[in-house]
Amino acid sequence: MESAEDWLVESLRLYQDFHAFDLSGATRVLEWIGDKGVCVAGYESLKKNEILHLTLPLRLSVKENQGLFPERDFKVCHGGFSDTPVFDLKHVPDTRVLVTSGLPGRNLRVWQVPEDSDVIRAVGSIAVQEEEGSLWPRMAIFSSMAPGVLHGARLRSLKVVDLESQKTTYSSGVSDSEELSSLQVLDADTFAFCCASGRLGLVDIRQKWAPSENVSPGPGAAGGRWCAEVGHRCQGPGPSIASLGSDGQLCLLDPRDLCHPVSSVRCPVSAPSPDPELLRVTWAPGLDSCLAVSGFDGTVQVYDATSWDGTGSRVEPLFTHRGHIFLEDSQPDAAPLVTTHTWHPHKLRTLLSAASDASLHVWDWAERRAAC
Amino acid sequence: MPEIRVTPLGAGQDVGRSCILVSIGGKNVMLDCGMHMGFNDDRRFPDFSYITRNGRLTDFLDCVIISHFHLDHCGALPYFSEMVGYDGPIYMTHPTQAICPILLEDYRKIAVDKKGEANFFTSQMIKDCMKKVVAVHLHQTVQVDDELEIKAYYAGHVLGAAMFQIKVGSESVVYTGDYNMTPDRHLGAAWIDKCRPNLLITESTYATTIRDSKRCRERDFLKKVHEAVERGGKVLIPVFALGRAQELCILLETFWERMNLKAPIYFSTGLTEKANHYYKLFITWTNQKIRKTFVQRNMFEFKHIKAFDRAFADNPGPMVVFATPGMLHAGQSLQIFRKWAGNEKNMVIMPGYCVQGTVGHKILSGQRKLEMEGRQVLEVKMQVEYMSFSAHADAKGIMQLVGQAEPENVLLVHGEAKKMEFLKQKIEQEFRLLPDAKKPRLLHGTLIMKDSNFRLVSSEQALKELGLAEHQLRFTCRVHLHDPRKEQETALRVYSHLKSVLKDHCVQHLPDGSVTVESILIQAAAHSEDPGTKVLLVSWTYQDEELGSYLTSLLKKGLPQGAT
Repeated sequence: MESAEDWLVESLRLYQDFHAFDLSGATRVLEWIGDKGVCVAGYESLKKNEILHLTLPLRLSVKENQGLFPERDFKVCHGGFSDTPVFDLKHVPDTRVLVTSGLPGRNLRVWQVPEDSDVIRAVGSIAVQEEEGSLWPRMAIFSSMAPGVLHGARLRSLKVVDLESQKTTYSSGVSDSEELSSLQVLDADTFAFCCASGRLGLVDIRQKWAPSENVSPGPGAAGGRWCAEVGHRCQGPGPSIASLGSDGQLCLLDPRDLCHPVSSVRCPVSAPSPDPELLRVTWAPGLDSCLAVSGFDGTVQVYDATSWDGTGSRVEPLFTHRGHIFLEDSQPDAAPLVTTHTWHPHKLRTLLSAASDASLHVWDWAERRAAC
Repeated sequence: MPEIRVTPLGAGQDVGRSCILVSIGGKNVMLDCGMHMGFNDDRRFPDFSYITRNGRLTDFLDCVIISHFHLDHCGALPYFSEMVGYDGPIYMTHPTQAICPILLEDYRKIAVDKKGEANFFTSQMIKDCMKKVVAVHLHQTVQVDDELEIKAYYAGHVLGAAMFQIKVGSESVVYTGDYNMTPDRHLGAAWIDKCRPNLLITESTYATTIRDSKRCRERDFLKKVHEAVERGGKVLIPVFALGRAQELCILLETFWERMNLKAPIYFSTGLTEKANHYYKLFITWTNQKIRKTFVQRNMFEFKHIKAFDRAFADNPGPMVVFATPGMLHAGQSLQIFRKWAGNEKNMVIMPGYCVQGTVGHKILSGQRKLEMEGRQVLEVKMQVEYMSFSAHADAKGIMQLVGQAEPENVLLVHGEAKKMEFLKQKIEQEFRLLPDAKKPRLLHGTLIMKDSNFRLVSSEQALKELGLAEHQLRFTCRVHLHDPRKEQETALRVYSHLKSVLKDHCVQHLPDGSVTVESILIQAAAHSEDPGTKVLLVSWTYQDEELGSYLTSLLKKGLPQGAT
């Protein structure tokens, strides 16, 4: 394919490093285990799906003498099978336990990654409030001496369940039926939620339900679906919550005032997204004000938000990863959709992205500006 | 009812050497006869005494089959046929027959001339061994005798590599050797028909990997070359594998054309002669599609790639040179290396495995000061890159092959048992290879007779039920070091040294002062009688035998002076 060859030559200039892999099944999940391993899982409904724990090629973990590490491959460290599609997977930190969620949404499954074998085994499940249709429970992990799983498909079904005893240690206790789009644990006592409507809230689980939230129907109003991510930046005040809408609107908010976004821009994407559930916005762990966005098409876009303002203006990405489009082997009609992406925990500009054609890329774009 | 017995000689779960004995329908066939590249003593050869202690090997074996020319598959062949003694037929493809002796001779030279080994096969032995070879064509049924027949299938991987079907009556086994399921620029993908063998024996070294795409590996190569050339450096690419050099040349040529680059690219003269010979072999061996693309580029009519003259090495400015031999152990590539090593703008790209004792192996281990002839020390400032261009089947490839051949059973060799369970389940589920109550199977277990019933269970379960402990074999070795400092400091020195040398391994310094390399433990203790001497206790389990031995010999060489 001529265009693939062209793109590859272009890529020499665009990327420092670039790896492309073919999984046996597409994944919507990229969950880090430590900083050397990731978990992926299939989401097919008609056949068995694999859950894989992959170790990164050594050259992505070493700091010097990279040239002496010829291995560019992922190692399948552990693998398991799931009869149902997996839409989300979380690793319980400091343990060998994984929790998965998907359809049908009547329970979460708990898995064990053993030390003495390479088969990931299902060891139990956590019952959840059953929902009709295609709603499935979102999850986040409270990691502590006694880890707990925060889960729910709607605000009213939000609960925290102790992993070991299976007892419910927290309930939202509200009757609000708004659909959830993401959950994120911020510290031992707080979590953030984002509803599909764009409604955001920060909740302290030590108190009765009284989240600080934006009350208006979402920063973007007018329908569409939203997702959000809270950045883990330690430095100073300023926006640390990013909220992304399926029409391409991206808002940055300060947790102290969720009602008034600090900035609001429009991303140059083909809106609306063909599958808004796959929308994802993430903060770069090592770069100031850098965000990555995916879920609109076969690209991942990286933005530098340093000079954004609140006017809803169009912005241009700092970098766009087009690898999934150009390295696609089959028919040009079936353009792949990026299903998820994640940043490497400490390699500044390295990201992993997965697409609907079962491709998995690891890439590190070449630095052009000093700022990001 | 078929009973097929498979015995890997020298461990089926040991990566490094292939040599498998198969007994089928009363016939005995040896599959591959590889050398273990990690050992320097007799452990590198398979243990042939298993086949017979007293009798002649020729009487016991009906034939030997060699899958391809890599040394871990054919390296022990001359030793086996001429020093242990075997006069029966040795089957391999034509290209393998042509290339094997070249590699064996190269290896012999390194072992004897460079490392001064004594008990090694001679050049004459290599020649005598090759006289026993019967070359076969792809898809040609060869009658070894009235009952035994074999057939070779295309395996990709390297020129001449084949997978073999061994058939006696209605029983058959397919052995894959090393194969590859994704085509590259000069080799196609492995292929086999739905021959439905009773057993498929497949290499599983890479079964638990998911391989980076060929395009990205090529991209990495181009990027490295381009960067070096842009900064005015010279790039040396030592090559043996003629096919690989071809592929890289085509790649560079395309890139140079597209980017309109001016720096010269050369290949050395030694390559030209071998390459023409190889080219002829290649053309008759390969399939139609590849033949067409290849014929367009008649070997040395590249626009940008010219023949090298040794004087060019001193020309100023950037250039790229492909030179033989591949491990930098002698000849032109070593000469060029010596000229260019001192300049940090230059680069050497090692495209494959290097045998211990060669300069290639040393620089890939991180050594930057090399002792050359006449005790001259060469400081290596040039950038050293190690790129793996070898093509092996990964998990996906194995599944594809199983799907093509439709075997009744699958045997995975060269992997660790604990790391194969997932793949085993995957294959079973995909192809429903679960036991059938009507078919007899050979299995190993423990018969427990208790009260008035019998049970056949796996040995692990029996141990558990009987409350018996499984015994793990552990080896300990003592290495004496002259070091008047405290144990903790010695341990720290050991840690720093091993960490810098063993880049591929996980080396840790534990809070109690001991050092671990993977699961091998090293502790420093003071010698009971001599305080100036420290005793290092190196301890490992049976599974870590290879690394344990290597570590011990490494530590016996002492620690670098002035290490912290």
